[in-house]
Amino acid sequence: MSFLYPLFLAGIAAVGLPIVLHMIRRHTRKRVEFSSLMFLRTTIPRFKNRSRLENLLLLILRCLILCLLAFAFSRPFFPREAVESRVRLGSRIVLLIDTSASMRRAGMWDQAISEAQSVLDSVDQADRVCVMSFDQSTKTQIGFEQWGALDPTQRKSVVIEHISKLSPGWALTNLGSALVSAAEAIEDDEVNDGQQTIAMRQVVLISDLQEGSNLEAMHAYEWPEEMELVVKLVRCQGTTNAALQLVTDRSGFGGSADDSPLGIRITNSSDATAERFQLNWADETAASASSRAVDVYVPPGHSIVVRAPDRADESKARKLILTGDDHDFDNTLYLAPHLQQQVNILYIGSDDPNDSKGMLYYVRRAFGATSALKPHVISRPGSKTIAAAEIETAHLIITADVVNQENLVSLRRYLESGRTLLLVLKSIDEAKTLATLAGIETIESQEADVDRYAMLSRIEFKHPLLTLFSEPRFGDFTQIHFWKYRRINIGDLPDARVLAHFDSGDPAWIELPVGKGSLLVFTCGWHPSDSQLALSSKFVPLLYSILEYGGVLAGQQSQYFVGDHIPIPQSMKLEPANLQIRKPDNSLVSLDAGQRVFTQTDLPGIYTIESSAENQLFAVNLPARECQTAAMPIEDLERFGVLFKQTSASLVEPSSSVALERTSQARRHSSFAGLEYEQKVWRWVFIALLAVSLIEIWLAGWLTRPVQRTENRGQKTEDREQRTEDRHLTSDL
Amino acid sequence: MTDKAAPSSLYRRGRATTDNPGTDGMIDPVSLMRIKSMELRAKVIVEGFWKGIHRSPYHGFSVEFTEYRQYTLGDDPRYIDWRLYARSDRFYVKKFEDETNLCCHLLIDHSRSMGYGSGGYTKSQYAGTLAATLAYFLFTQGDAVGLTIFDDQLRKYFAPRNRPGYLRRLMLALEASPEGSATDLGPPLQHIAGMLTRRGLIVLISDLLTSIDRLEPDLGCLCAGGHDVVVFHVLDPAELNFDFNSPAIFQDMESGRNMYVNPSDVQTSYRRMLDKHLAKAKSICQNLGIDYHLFPTDRPLDLALLDFLQDRMRRRKRGRYRGGSKVRTNV
Repeated sequence: MSFLYPLFLAGIAAVGLPIVLHMIRRHTRKRVEFSSLMFLRTTIPRFKNRSRLENLLLLILRCLILCLLAFAFSRPFFPREAVESRVRLGSRIVLLIDTSASMRRAGMWDQAISEAQSVLDSVDQADRVCVMSFDQSTKTQIGFEQWGALDPTQRKSVVIEHISKLSPGWALTNLGSALVSAAEAIEDDEVNDGQQTIAMRQVVLISDLQEGSNLEAMHAYEWPEEMELVVKLVRCQGTTNAALQLVTDRSGFGGSADDSPLGIRITNSSDATAERFQLNWADETAASASSRAVDVYVPPGHSIVVRAPDRADESKARKLILTGDDHDFDNTLYLAPHLQQQVNILYIGSDDPNDSKGMLYYVRRAFGATSALKPHVISRPGSKTIAAAEIETAHLIITADVVNQENLVSLRRYLESGRTLLLVLKSIDEAKTLATLAGIETIESQEADVDRYAMLSRIEFKHPLLTLFSEPRFGDFTQIHFWKYRRINIGDLPDARVLAHFDSGDPAWIELPVGKGSLLVFTCGWHPSDSQLALSSKFVPLLYSILEYGGVLAGQQSQYFVGDHIPIPQSMKLEPANLQIRKPDNSLVSLDAGQRVFTQTDLPGIYTIESSAENQLFAVNLPARECQTAAMPIEDLERFGVLFKQTSASLVEPSSSVALERTSQARRHSSFAGLEYEQKVWRWVFIALLAVSLIEIWLAGWLTRPVQRTENRGQKTEDREQRTEDRHLTSDL
Repeated sequence: MTDKAAPSSLYRRGRATTDNPGTDGMIDPVSLMRIKSMELRAKVIVEGFWKGIHRSPYHGFSVEFTEYRQYTLGDDPRYIDWRLYARSDRFYVKKFEDETNLCCHLLIDHSRSMGYGSGGYTKSQYAGTLAATLAYFLFTQGDAVGLTIFDDQLRKYFAPRNRPGYLRRLMLALEASPEGSATDLGPPLQHIAGMLTRRGLIVLISDLLTSIDRLEPDLGCLCAGGHDVVVFHVLDPAELNFDFNSPAIFQDMESGRNMYVNPSDVQTSYRRMLDKHLAKAKSICQNLGIDYHLFPTDRPLDLALLDFLQDRMRRRKRGRYRGGSKVRTNV
């Protein structure tokens, strides 16, 4: 039998204390100084005979209580031989191999392969093995079924050959999800196998256990009992690892069109030994590289933000390189060229662009050029025929005029192709345009009778067009007054969805699906004679929201990470031919028509969406979390209740023998704690303690009664014994 | 309490009790012992006593005329009564009772047993204060006061004198705590008897916790020298009553001997033996013509002074009646 906390056994020594006190306290300690004893005679003291223990059984029981208490607190357990025997019955082992980007460091993958081989070498014939690899996702390389189907003599060689074909990717480490998958795989196999014998369940993790590992999945998972985790830690030679990330938001539509310097965050690992690094563009010539390179000083475990070096040729420079650390897998930052997106806005109306009383005046000012967007507003009267190319190339059409029949056909076609058109009813005459675009014959419309002003109410903030106003601080539209609006009968538009009402209950903003596209109808204009909308702070966000709703602004994000899903820009989705995306390794991936996202971002680099009209570039970089390569404390896993098998020498720094010993002790203690937790011997000890306590209580009660009865009878004998004892004492005094 | 304590707080208040009959208005010894300075204690007692003595019938005692005698050659002409010469034309010389002041010697027992005290102060402190009170009183009257401190042998000796500053020396000697061992009256008293050639008053302050058989010859050697001897037998109330509650090991302060005693068992026999001891001491003193006063240490000290003076007055009258010694005191 062993003890988890053997120090508590020292509490057994407390048993001697009451006995010793019983023996020591023989007579009174009171001592009085008196002037003279010449008139005093000594008195025979009436001491109890303390040298002889009474009620020996009671004393033994009480001592036993103390002993059991100390015994229970020392948490006894039996070293489990049975567990070892289970191994011989056949174990289920999941070999979990880390293939994340951090495993690309020099020498680590070879080390991981050799660890995997050593694990497979120790596998018994009766064992069932599953091989899994994991980075952001977990993949089963060889399942339990497949292992079982293999020829027992060929199993190891086949698996080793399979593993040797693996290589680390570029994704981040989702360790929590991998551990959960491994544990579930073992449990599933037990259920499927229906094997009655209890086998050892073991997950062998071959990983660098980096700090940036994602363990979130473990929070919602209770680690199974008797599921042991064996960690085969792989280490590399150098520990200094610096990484770089882009911190400047290049996707914003606000701000000026001028290029601002890029902010780059340099992060140094906490176990780094070097602190000086250099940042430079990858394609600079050797001469200019030295002059333009930025020297960076980052203490271990810290990060700083620096400006990227100046670029000689902005069109070429797409790769920032960090040098000076031991590992270069995360030393490259890819930057897609910064291109302004041309947005064509067709305004159909006869307004003077410089007339502040008209609507066009405000549209032109709302769509100013930004660093990411280059809006181009074209104004055409509705009465004249508009070139079909102008309609086709328009990203957004705003109609605020009566449109002739020819244009109506083009607009209807524009809508049906999946675009968005905004129709503003400046007058009741435009009701016919609305009816034509909506595909109905006629719609009832009349000028509303507004008492002083109308306000918006019942706004559908859940609609994608208006979600940006959903926060209470942005959702106050009561300051916008509407002087005039056109009342239409919404019943004539069966599929229409009213996005906002006036306080009178009449629809203000309506969305009407037409073909694949959507027709937005404003029953009131934003020019000053109709309302205060153009003058409010809501106007510009609303127009941009319409642009975004139309899919025009999608796909503008210029930086993605490995594993991200990249939305295809709306304009390219409409390409009749299939899109192709060229990956950084020059491989081509074809996209189906209408496919909204691209998922195969498994490499960092510049991706190109190739289309007939134009190519669009986007950069995919390594996730920042994957660059945190310092070793994760093993206690992080223990917090989730993971039971560790035994000490692995590779878990600790080979240079530190003290650390090795400490870690060895810690893991041994952890293993013992697991055994003790399973056996819970202390519960039985406490039951015994309660039983002894009850006996002691009963015995104490039983002993008091006979003592009282025989007190007088035994008095003489007791006195005689006391006198003998006191005679010795008196002579001492 | 410090030396600056209000004197009014020293006096006992309330009605007289059976334990302390007639002590109302007297100085409470417990309060008195809190005064650190021995001289101040004595001063408080004596000055309080003077206030009371003005109402006393015992006043006016001083050097007294006894008789005339025919002048003979060789007499000091200073003592010739010139008024009588004017009336009778004969020379007569006036004779007085005593032409010198009293020579008082205080013998203080400083044995270890005197270090016992149950009321917050020891017998030694009480005895010292009593001696200081007598010394102060006599010194203010111009009498010579000497001091001897002894235990089983003579420790300190101050010859009787009445010089300015001498009282201060006596007070400092009295403030010392007992350092001796056992009480043995024989050697020191014999030594004193040999040293005092001039007859006077000897005041012995002791707990007399010694063999009673040796007491008579020891005191007798003092009386044999013609001295007036007064014995103040000082005992603690706990010694008189032995009213301890719980059994304990009692340790003799002088010999260090331990004895387990259950007070309830031995109280009666203790009191009986003590009473016998006290009665024997008193009878010895009476036989030797010694004034004996038993003083529990909770008794007000001004009563001691009063007892002392009353005894002196009785002795003076007795002496006159018996026509004994010509030596008279002025007290």
